[in-house]
Amino acid sequence: MPLAVDMRHIRKFFPSSSVLACDDVDFAVEQGEVHALVGENGAGKTTLMNILYGLVAPDAGQIFVHEKLSHIAHPNDAIKLGIGMVHQHFKLVPSFTIAQNILLGIEPNQAGFINNNDEADIVRRLSESFGLPVNPNARVADVSVGMQQRVEILKTLQRNAQILILDEPTAVLTPQEVRELYTVIRKLADDGRTVILITHKLLEVKEAADRVSIMRRGRMVATHSVADVTVREMANLMVGREVILRVDKSPATPGDVVLKADNLLVAGAGGMPAVFGVSLEVRAGEILGIAGVSGNGQTELVEAITGLRPVEGGTISLLGQDITHASVRKRREIGLAHVPEDRMEVGLNLKTNLDENVVVTHYQDDPYSKRGILRLPPIRKLAQQIVDAFQVKSARVGEEIKTLSGGNLQKVVLGRELYGNPRLLVVNQPTRGLDVGSIEFVHRTLIEERDSGAAILLVSVELDEILSLSDRIAVMFRGRIMDVLDAEAANEQDIGVLMAGGSLETEPAAAQKV
Amino acid sequence: MVNRLRQTFKSLSIPVLAVILGLIVSSFFVLMAGTDPAQTYQRMFCEGFGSKGCQTFSDLLVVQVETEDGGVSSVFAPFYGVGGHRMAVVLERATLLILTALSATVAFKAGLFSIGMDGQFVLGAITVAFFGYWLPTQVYMLAGVSDPGAAPQALLSVMHVLIPLVCIGLAMAVGAVYSWIAGYLKVKLNVNELISTIILNAIAVQIVNYLVRYPLRSDFNSTARTQRIDDTAWLIPFNRGLFQDVEWFSGARLGIGIIIAILVAVLIWFFLWRSTAGYEQRMAGGSRRFARFGGIPSERAALRAMLLSGALSGLAGALAILGIERRVIDGYATSGFGFDGVLVAILARESVPGIILVAMFFAGLQQGATNLQFGDLPRQLGGIIIAFIILFSSMENFFRDLITRIQTRLRPRKTPYPNEAGAP
Ligand SMILES: Nc1ncnc2c1ncn2[C@@H]1O[C@H](COP(=O)(O)OP(=O)(O)O)[C@@H](O)[C@H]1O
Ligand SMILES: [Mg+2]
Repeated sequence: MPLAVDMRHIRKFFPSSSVLACDDVDFAVEQGEVHALVGENGAGKTTLMNILYGLVAPDAGQIFVHEKLSHIAHPNDAIKLGIGMVHQHFKLVPSFTIAQNILLGIEPNQAGFINNNDEADIVRRLSESFGLPVNPNARVADVSVGMQQRVEILKTLQRNAQILILDEPTAVLTPQEVRELYTVIRKLADDGRTVILITHKLLEVKEAADRVSIMRRGRMVATHSVADVTVREMANLMVGREVILRVDKSPATPGDVVLKADNLLVAGAGGMPAVFGVSLEVRAGEILGIAGVSGNGQTELVEAITGLRPVEGGTISLLGQDITHASVRKRREIGLAHVPEDRMEVGLNLKTNLDENVVVTHYQDDPYSKRGILRLPPIRKLAQQIVDAFQVKSARVGEEIKTLSGGNLQKVVLGRELYGNPRLLVVNQPTRGLDVGSIEFVHRTLIEERDSGAAILLVSVELDEILSLSDRIAVMFRGRIMDVLDAEAANEQDIGVLMAGGSLETEPAAAQKV
Repeated sequence: MVNRLRQTFKSLSIPVLAVILGLIVSSFFVLMAGTDPAQTYQRMFCEGFGSKGCQTFSDLLVVQVETEDGGVSSVFAPFYGVGGHRMAVVLERATLLILTALSATVAFKAGLFSIGMDGQFVLGAITVAFFGYWLPTQVYMLAGVSDPGAAPQALLSVMHVLIPLVCIGLAMAVGAVYSWIAGYLKVKLNVNELISTIILNAIAVQIVNYLVRYPLRSDFNSTARTQRIDDTAWLIPFNRGLFQDVEWFSGARLGIGIIIAILVAVLIWFFLWRSTAGYEQRMAGGSRRFARFGGIPSERAALRAMLLSGALSGLAGALAILGIERRVIDGYATSGFGFDGVLVAILARESVPGIILVAMFFAGLQQGATNLQFGDLPRQLGGIIIAFIILFSSMENFFRDLITRIQTRLRPRKTPYPNEAGAP
């Protein structure tokens, strides 16, 4: 097979972060294949692809597209060469229709006037020819994430992309949408197009790709035919050591009810209700997982429980005390700990040092302050204890934390929150953006915490995570809990149906539909 | 410790670079004005920071002095005070700039971009201008003294301590309340504090202009002005009191205010970095959501920061009148000490020790630039030079990038990947 893309000796150093994101990387993709590019977070996958797409200028190296040496200085050059890229974060205009987005910048016009009907027709024909149905006149803001992604793909196809780069396309999709995406990808490859699929989910590689290239810390470590490697081998190559993929855990021994939410009503951004009448219970020594596609009220639910968002109706009690309207401090005094979704803005203050970050939940207590004056030695000691106990590498007492990796930042958060043995731990997306090694650590920590008797409410959009950690699983859709399943009995299909708003009783066929 | 030193060096290198670049770029305008940049800058720095007889850059350090017997000897210039030293005037101005810059810093550190220092400053000033005159007259009346000159010494001594204290307290309260308005609007109604403080500044200027021109106008002098404050309210400058005989101080109204300003700076540093309240404010400033997440009452912290910030500007206004001006003259409301304080705070990167240095440097530059006009140079030239220096100083990231880029060029290439060392 001829090579569609051949990148040779690519090097890219970012002076601002002092990171060598690509270190003499060779990357070759055959025409007509689905080629997965995997690696831990920060391995340099996006950078490598941005170089191919003309968004980032490499320091050294050559790029051959369809076996011709090409100079790609700008995305326009890449588009001319037939390269299209769907970014990790979509770049659509929410207030425009799907057709307007797809034809943005290349609108059909007559003497400068745009004809909306022409636009819709073009998009309709395009979407039919690729078997990717969309409603051209729907506004992007109103359609699901899966649909938005489809729009992004169509956008590249409209510009005649022969080589398609998809950067972590599945992170935001339900299992069913993921399945559909694979079908589309396969079809594009069958048509002779080349697809580069960036991901860090290794099962997906097995399912969707022909070959796989693995990056680790800026280097290309291996390229294999997918049939020749196991998931375990890929994981080890990615991390550079043996990893434990499965979480070992014993059956839970639930104790008393720790958290009880009754008929909660919470408003989201803009005052629209985001949580409608959610009731749940979490017992000591168990993990209740909340599954769901992001944006279905999980964030609001967590914020209501942890005191960051006012409750409009219903009650919350923690260890029998009513905390529906209690302050954050009061909740924390009773025994709440919280690992928030956004560790950069909410969980930590990256503008200050390690010490001040770890003491935020205790700064008013003896011995960390006396009569309104902070006492530095105990604070330093606390920071040191957390660094030691959680092996926060390269974090040092008294120093800035903004240069720490995501995994180490999350360890700081976990260390602080678990200090003082909380009774209830609320964790939201605890492993988002973490590398495999850190994920393993976070998971092990959560199980240990459960086994020592904490009640844990785990919210995650990673279904694997929910399935492997939870003792019971609640599925949220549009602000409601669709069902609560026993983790033993739950499977991915059922949860997928519930996540999409289906019900297990009335629609048993939904699981097979895809 | 070595690390500390290196950091200090690094943080100093950027402003120094900025000043040099600013001077180089403004040379263009100096040339356009038809003069020699080197000479102009020498004059500017001598007028700003020099002793009597300063002519060249080297005179800033060592100045040649004629001795009594007709010979010439070298003297360490900063200590050479004959005929008054420019640094005394620098310190007089810096007194106010330090306080308004601290005021800005307290707000900025709490994540509030309040630039209401001007308004708080002039309201503080007018407050003491009024009470510094009115309070003593009330006291004399109550004590039955008709001629203050003949008042019992004991009474005067007590008044000399209490009146300034009361005046300062009132000015701080006025500044605090005025600043609190913007804080309250921000916290309760989410009104952008930048906009509200700009408006409040404009209102304060109008209030003060009105008060000076009508109710508090003292005489029919062609420029409206308030009554001069009573002698018992006056913080007597060093050249009229404590250091009457030290010539170094002779040309400036520098007084106890500078000591107050530096003490306050130390206190503010301690408050911000060592008290739980300061911690709360800084955390709320770093990330409002982080503060709330940690259980910090961030609204209270924001309001407290605004109160403190206003009090500091009020204090600056009080010291300006009690120690320097002794009355408010029409037009003083737009003297700009508040806004210059904001600039000082930004240039000092909100560091308290930095503020003291930058305030002095800034005051000296302003003075030097203003005095350029006594040569044959256009008055605006000084403004242009200062503006360029500020512009380059605010290009922090540009310089930091430049420095790292130069460093990485010079350093042999090692593996710069950060996780490498820590990886298992
Ligand atoms: N524009 C940039 N400036 C500085 N550093 C960057 C930039 N883009 C990426 N990096 C750094 O380069 C490394 C690789 O990033 P990236 O290519 O996004 O990784 P991946 O997509 O594999 O997660 C990371 O350490 C990241 O912090
Ligand atoms: Mg990426």
